[in-house]
Amino acid sequence: MEHVAPELFNGLVLGAFYAIVAIGLSLIMNLTGTINMAHGSFMTLAGYFAFALIARGTNFWFALLVAPLLAVLVAIIVERTMIRPLYGRDPVYSLLLTFGLSLIAEEVFHIVWGANTLPFAPPAALGGTVALGFMNFPTYRLFIVAVLLLVFGLLALFLYRTRFGLRLRAAVQDSEMIAALGTNTQVLYTINFGLGILLAGIAGVLAVGLLGLNPTTGNTLLMPAFVTVIIGGMGSLYGCLVGGVLIGLATSLMTLYVPAASEVVMYILMAIVLTIRPRGLFGEEGLFG
Amino acid sequence: MSNPLIDRRTFVKGAGLGAAAIVAGVPAFIPRLGEAADAIKIGVLEPYTGTYAYPGENETIGIQMAIDAWNKRGGVLGRPIEIIKEDEESKPDVAAQKARKLVNQDKCVALIGTVSSGSSLSVQKASADMGVLFFASGGHTDDVTGKNCTWNTFRTCHSTWMEAHATAYTLAKKFGKRFYFITPDYAFGHALQTAFDDVIKQIGGTTVGYDLTPLGTTDFSSYLTKVPAAKPDVVVVLVQGDDYTNCMKQADSFGLLKKFPFGGPQVELEPLYGLPAAARTGYWGIEWSYSSDLALGKGNKAAHQFVADYFAHYLNSQKKPPTARECFGYVSIDRMLAGMAAAKSTDSVKVARAIEGEKFQSIFADGGYYRREDHQLMWPMWVAEIRPNGTPQDPNDLLDVIAKHDPDTIEQSVAEKAKICKMAYPS
Repeated sequence: MEHVAPELFNGLVLGAFYAIVAIGLSLIMNLTGTINMAHGSFMTLAGYFAFALIARGTNFWFALLVAPLLAVLVAIIVERTMIRPLYGRDPVYSLLLTFGLSLIAEEVFHIVWGANTLPFAPPAALGGTVALGFMNFPTYRLFIVAVLLLVFGLLALFLYRTRFGLRLRAAVQDSEMIAALGTNTQVLYTINFGLGILLAGIAGVLAVGLLGLNPTTGNTLLMPAFVTVIIGGMGSLYGCLVGGVLIGLATSLMTLYVPAASEVVMYILMAIVLTIRPRGLFGEEGLFG
Repeated sequence: MSNPLIDRRTFVKGAGLGAAAIVAGVPAFIPRLGEAADAIKIGVLEPYTGTYAYPGENETIGIQMAIDAWNKRGGVLGRPIEIIKEDEESKPDVAAQKARKLVNQDKCVALIGTVSSGSSLSVQKASADMGVLFFASGGHTDDVTGKNCTWNTFRTCHSTWMEAHATAYTLAKKFGKRFYFITPDYAFGHALQTAFDDVIKQIGGTTVGYDLTPLGTTDFSSYLTKVPAAKPDVVVVLVQGDDYTNCMKQADSFGLLKKFPFGGPQVELEPLYGLPAAARTGYWGIEWSYSSDLALGKGNKAAHQFVADYFAHYLNSQKKPPTARECFGYVSIDRMLAGMAAAKSTDSVKVARAIEGEKFQSIFADGGYYRREDHQLMWPMWVAEIRPNGTPQDPNDLLDVIAKHDPDTIEQSVAEKAKICKMAYPS
């Protein structure tokens, strides 16, 4: 049993990570029906931007703020020029488009930054460990949890306490009516897409402090995020949070007892949830409960 | 039509000039076409995408360097050599399918390459079925020259048995006999683990912890948090590539690198360059070094010339020094072509016969030979301590080579191999 406490903690960190990526996916999916297969590429892109910024002498904190915003800039261009024409069509169109984009992105990363893993270390202040009593836990992982909780709080405030958030939620329920009432839904879509990518970008920069930075870094995290959305339920912010933590815990605990099954456990979890409750744990008709 | 981009007259003039150029070019062009048709084609199967893309690129550079050298000397059997590259993606099924394509469609007479052991085994099987030579340049699992050995396959990099034995004795002597293993859950990892179990039995050591991690694991925290409780003398890391980077980076973040010695049977420069300096540490088996006389051989002109040529003309996309992967690629294709020259033929059986047992000098110390009984290249292996920041003159020079092990002391003997590897030539 001495191993279980650290595993639970590891699982929570991992889960928070999956959740924030899943929320970004979910935002984009709910409003426009776009299944963004390029989400992982935007994470990687933000990682490379952060790497490039730090290589040019800026510090980690500046890169953590600015790199996701640069990724959002790219995302807005992509949304306006390529994804927008596909709104209103079958989701397969945007799925294929974004899948293609992710392949192209991987090759571009390959050409610009090379196939090898680049060294990326979090700043020295986050380098050590913190004694938690039952174990020494890496400071950087605690920092990740703190940032993700902050981001989650700000996002909830934004969606539930601002006029824009209200419009966004209304648009999910009936975008035609919102448009008829005088809201520019095109702008709404763009901002929403940017918001989803902002979350991906923050997760991306945080991830490369933990993993190596190479053209496939983001894509390795994409599949758990999709599973998170499905388990948590389409359209539910809290569902993503619960789903992410569930997967994180299940993976970590499985690693302790049956490492070979640690990869597959999330799919088993998904199958169980889909069988018992096909719309996911918190999935409902509208967005965000 | 007031301002067309190309008017009719310009077009006619241009077309006329073009036609003239083609006609003038033909006499010179035809014989060259004939020459090209005569080229000896060799299929290169390397991962150019995915976790082993960087070692794949480096092996290809080594291959290209040898090809250029042979072509400069007039090729083999009076014919130029040409390579056709395919991305095998480190996926055994893709590798086997591309192997068939290279032989059946592109008419390659021999194959070379692979980094991942799974791909080495699948290409070995496919090439044996087709009866063409295969040089497994970079997949380490014992089975290639063990129970799966075939007459057509020669393996250049060290076997997992050699890697484990070369380093295990050093680690045990330096740190103690309680080992903790982090092992990748596929052919390569299993083979390494078997070899380590053999050493542990010999020296009376114990395995205090043992984790099988799936290939492509991103989060090693669950494995690493178990390490302190097991109180090992040394943590042996068997994972490779990006998994190695993730594992060491996270071991550093958990503060483990300061508490326990780390080491393992194999480390390569490619993943080391992807690590922050704080996570570069320990004692590891290595398969070549561009900077050490112990690895290159003191006064070995060919090796020093190879390194100089690399820096002058073949620098990889990362502008980093050559690694063991350049050496594998170079040695493999160089010996394949030497075999063709000696056999005066490209016939696979004749070339294989000409290669096996033949001693040669190359770009590493002492020279070596592909053993007749299992087709394993018998060459030295080295152990290095990692210099986190290189040397003051060369920040890329991360390997401080401290020991050389002779092949006969680290590989299974011919008698032992005879029980495992049954090699049958086509009659």
